[in-house]
Amino acid sequence: MRVWLGFCGLLLAANVCAAEGNARFDWLKTIAFAGHQTDYSGVFVYQYGNHVETSRITHVVETDREYEKLESLDGPKREIIRHHGQVWCYKNHKMVQVDSHQGQVRFPLLLTDQLSALSENYRVSEAGIERVAGYDTQVVLFQPRDNLRYAQKIWVHTDSGLLLKSAVLNDKMKIVEQYAFTQLKMGPGVDRSWIASSATTAFLGKGKGKDRPARNKVAATVNSGWVVDALPSGFKKTMEVIRPMKGKHAPVTQLVFSDGLSAISVFIEPADGDEDDVEGLSSRGAVNLYHKVVDKHLFNVVGEVPPRTVMQVLNSVRYNGK
Amino acid sequence: MMKHEISALMDGELFEDEAEIMFDQLKQDPDAHRDWAVYHLIGDVLRQPEYVHRDISAAVSECLLNEPTVLAPRSHAIKQKARVFALSAAASVLAVGVVAWMSLQISPEAAPQMAMQQPDVRPVNLQIQPKSNDYLMAHQEFSPSNDMNGGASYMRTVTYNPGEKSQ
Repeated sequence: MRVWLGFCGLLLAANVCAAEGNARFDWLKTIAFAGHQTDYSGVFVYQYGNHVETSRITHVVETDREYEKLESLDGPKREIIRHHGQVWCYKNHKMVQVDSHQGQVRFPLLLTDQLSALSENYRVSEAGIERVAGYDTQVVLFQPRDNLRYAQKIWVHTDSGLLLKSAVLNDKMKIVEQYAFTQLKMGPGVDRSWIASSATTAFLGKGKGKDRPARNKVAATVNSGWVVDALPSGFKKTMEVIRPMKGKHAPVTQLVFSDGLSAISVFIEPADGDEDDVEGLSSRGAVNLYHKVVDKHLFNVVGEVPPRTVMQVLNSVRYNGK
Repeated sequence: MMKHEISALMDGELFEDEAEIMFDQLKQDPDAHRDWAVYHLIGDVLRQPEYVHRDISAAVSECLLNEPTVLAPRSHAIKQKARVFALSAAASVLAVGVVAWMSLQISPEAAPQMAMQQPDVRPVNLQIQPKSNDYLMAHQEFSPSNDMNGGASYMRTVTYNPGEKSQ
């Protein structure tokens, strides 16, 4: 409740100074804050192309630790549980840990310099009040200043600051993908019994789960020597790690770049020689993936950016090490 | 009739045995073979107009026609490709239906244009393969969309296609 009130104060402050151009970026801080600090549970629709999928998300905060459960409501049962940097995934009748970044607290995410970088690359405008899932929302539009990134339109609940709907738009302002809550409950009354349920505690225990895979080594931060020459402006390196990955014999180098709204990951690994195809572009919603084998290395570039951007990035990766 | 079936094949709407029969027919019937090539060309142009420059259509059709390997129902890999390959007229209509409906729901500025021009449908044919899900998951952890959408963005990493066999 205290959090709730404090948050409304913050929201009010954000509104008061909204007249200033940069203040509109405060909506991002507002959303991030609300998303981490609010208890909520709801059903949302995820749509791209002719694909529509319904899921339920439940997010609760217990003594400053977040628990989040994402369940698919269509098709085969899939479930993702996130807690304090750990990600568990239930798929094909198995619960496996897919990642662990314990101790790595990324909140608050948006630093001041990131916000100024954002305003160099996006025009932000408030686009009225609309109703989503029965709540009033402020619509905010981020339009890129170049064609190397997508536009984003977000619907922010005016009372809580939660993101109730978001759409990624291409340069013709057509929808690439969107998420929208159709039903949402906030505050006390959100089901938290599942946190204590046997299934959840078995996995979120103190790391003693039997199914904890051997590959669960912490990714090591490195300076790999790989560089990207043709990044779109405003993309800064936020991460460079060497990590184990399922089904890979050798560790994979991952570089992550972000402009504050979207991110691009570059994965580099030794090519194992039996790749089906040496080059290809594919997509899922706003995420595009371009892979290519060059000089016995397999490169995968993934990002919620247009196809041309992942291609441009991959084609400019270069080894600058010893 | 034949055209309809080619379209269904390209959409991955045929069962495996039906697809095998279609592949055989495509091999034997030059007309069907040409339709197949042309449909792919249409699909390619619709999906990625920015990569198509003037007057390359003849060259592209010729290349397509000169590529008998495309038609060989070779192995698992080629079936996969055939299944996810293209967006036919039928699928386009469905996609337009969904996208147009969604646009009306959320995006007033996109809606009027929708009725007038060819829809800019995403390349659903080139879906990210399930084997690449681990890259998506590894990327998702560090994406700002996490903080915006919360865990909702993770849905991307485990999304499924009804045609896809779970393994």
